[in-house]
Amino acid sequence: MTIGGKRSTAICFVAAVAALGLGAFVFVWSGLYNAAASQPHLSIVHRMIEFALRRSVETHSALMTHPAFDDSNLMRLGAAHFDSGCAPCHSAPGGMSNPVVENMLPRPPKLTLAASRWTPEQLFWIVKNGLKFTGMPAWVAQDREDEIWAVVAFLEALPNISAAEYRKVAAANVEALVRTGGMIAKYGAGTESISQCDRCHGTRSEPPTSALVPKLAGQSQAYLEITLRCFATGTRQSGIMQPVAAALTDGDAAELAKYYAGLPPTTAADSSQKPPPDQLERGKMIALSGVPENGIPPCLACHGDKRAATFPTLFGQHAAYLRNQLQLWRRGLRNQTAQGAIMAAIATRLSEQQIFEVAAWFESVGPRIPSEEVRRGRRRR
Amino acid sequence: MKMPRAAEADWSRWTTLASAVVVAFFFSGCAGVQSTLAPQGPEAARVALLSWVMFIAAGIILLGVTLLCALAIYGRERWRGWLAREGAAIGGGVAFPVVTLTALLSCGLILTSRGRPPSADMPPLKISVVGERWWWRVFYENGVGGSFESANEIRIPVNRPVEIELTTADVIHSFWAPTLAGKMDMIPGRTNMLTLQATKAGVSRGQCAEYCGGAHALMAFDVVAMPRPAYGEWLAHTAAPAAAPRSPIEREGLKLFLESGCGGCHTIRGTSALGKIGPDLTHVGGRLSLGAAILPNDPSAFARWIRHNQQIKPGNLMPPYGIFTDNELAALSTYLSQLR
Repeated sequence: MTIGGKRSTAICFVAAVAALGLGAFVFVWSGLYNAAASQPHLSIVHRMIEFALRRSVETHSALMTHPAFDDSNLMRLGAAHFDSGCAPCHSAPGGMSNPVVENMLPRPPKLTLAASRWTPEQLFWIVKNGLKFTGMPAWVAQDREDEIWAVVAFLEALPNISAAEYRKVAAANVEALVRTGGMIAKYGAGTESISQCDRCHGTRSEPPTSALVPKLAGQSQAYLEITLRCFATGTRQSGIMQPVAAALTDGDAAELAKYYAGLPPTTAADSSQKPPPDQLERGKMIALSGVPENGIPPCLACHGDKRAATFPTLFGQHAAYLRNQLQLWRRGLRNQTAQGAIMAAIATRLSEQQIFEVAAWFESVGPRIPSEEVRRGRRRR
Repeated sequence: MKMPRAAEADWSRWTTLASAVVVAFFFSGCAGVQSTLAPQGPEAARVALLSWVMFIAAGIILLGVTLLCALAIYGRERWRGWLAREGAAIGGGVAFPVVTLTALLSCGLILTSRGRPPSADMPPLKISVVGERWWWRVFYENGVGGSFESANEIRIPVNRPVEIELTTADVIHSFWAPTLAGKMDMIPGRTNMLTLQATKAGVSRGQCAEYCGGAHALMAFDVVAMPRPAYGEWLAHTAAPAAAPRSPIEREGLKLFLESGCGGCHTIRGTSALGKIGPDLTHVGGRLSLGAAILPNDPSAFARWIRHNQQIKPGNLMPPYGIFTDNELAALSTYLSQLR
């Protein structure tokens, strides 16, 4: 072939590529491809999108490892959040399907089979990051990976959960309000509301659904109001609580805080762990006397009977909840509020062992400590 | 290239001026409350004397060496020949250094040896100082066999030897009150003793002199030398518990102090605050400064410290207390200020 022949082949090739690109642009520009959710994707487009999505999830989650899911508290927390945060689109076992959601494209999948389609790490990545162009949002508090793992723990358990069991584990405390026709006409018929605190925090007679959820009964109104405000403004982070708090007006928050402050403290304890007496004794020493050589003041200096109204009581609180929160402080996730900044300085001085012991002691003493014991502890110091 | 003559003169004028400014800057450190060269007691006077002996001897020797150098370069041939002899090398290079250095070393050893043992009729006053994470914990004897705690201020009587026991709670610090004595390290696991004495009443300043972490430079203290009778009164007053709050705002301040957890780390004797982690605040309002001699002692400085202590002294062990409203902070500061 001559030099001129080679050159003309190259020109032809470039022209063909340019024509193809131009053709694609003209097709997109023309608006002929139907973006309507009422029409399914072309089969080839659908397959390409599916392929890209799966590969993206697989690649991005390749280097993770999931924690142990043997603690049912994690699954229960995930279940309660699923009921308010996920079920409205993904529907729950035994739940009604929503015709609006059914007309989304892609349609939010039922998640009963999610655990068999994805590994726990892949589910974690999807829940944390959401998926572009699908309507699946990213997790509100990106750093609260502990909460995201709770949702994954529930999704892992979901295939084996019947509709009846689901009601029990995810929404035992949710009571449907029996409304008359007039009430429905006036207030609406919705039985599910994101701000149904009972769902997670328990009722007057029932403890929280998971030991990772704090008991609120008996906290002061000031403390609860401040906490709700911190969640609403995002200075305290939680993918579960931030949306709830943001949905409340100031008046709602005050009323809620007043309600919980007036409830009698619940005595129910998480009996899954029984620490040995010597550990409880060491935990008690930390709470009453601190560890001065490590710069740790006694917990009761701020959390005792004479605490400021804006400080929480810890007596009878679930050990699992206390441990988890102390870990959040150690990871630097709770230092953006004025109250949190104080605790942040102290939480980082506690060892893993000390956290375990002191959390176990606070749970073991129940909602009230005999004031005699406090006095003896103070004198010893 | 050679500079024009005028420019050369200009240049030399400027360098002279610049050196004068630099020298003046360094000598400004020689006066005032934290200077070795302004001694207020015999220990520091000996350090100052030794410094002067060394400066002057070194100055004379430098001058002599410079002259000999000039001689060796510009001198007449006869003088240069004299300098090149073996005798001159042995005399100037061996004999002279041996004699002068021995003299200076002896002078140094004599001046830095321990002072006279305190006479029996005047037993030394004992004070313990512990280096902490950027402040000083101070223990005084209360005169009846016990001791009480204070912080960041050393008060001593004039004309009485004081024996200071130096230890540390964490890393190596160094106790240095330049107007009264030389530096003495505070070493983990060791107890060092420093004896000093003030000859006249007055206030001076000390400083940690061994790098001990981020806020090392902000670890200072005040030294107050007081006439004998006033010192006795001060000691008795400081050994006593804090006075009860009198006005409503002070009572509010004490209530905030106790319910906000301050007592978990701080002691105010006479209240239920018995914490041992931070400085004793029983008479904090009567000290000359706050935050280990870095803030004035007034209510606004208290308020700044409580809220912004991590900006003022980053990394110190106190949590930042941003929870108070302005009114609450004012009450707390007023209460602490009147703890004299």
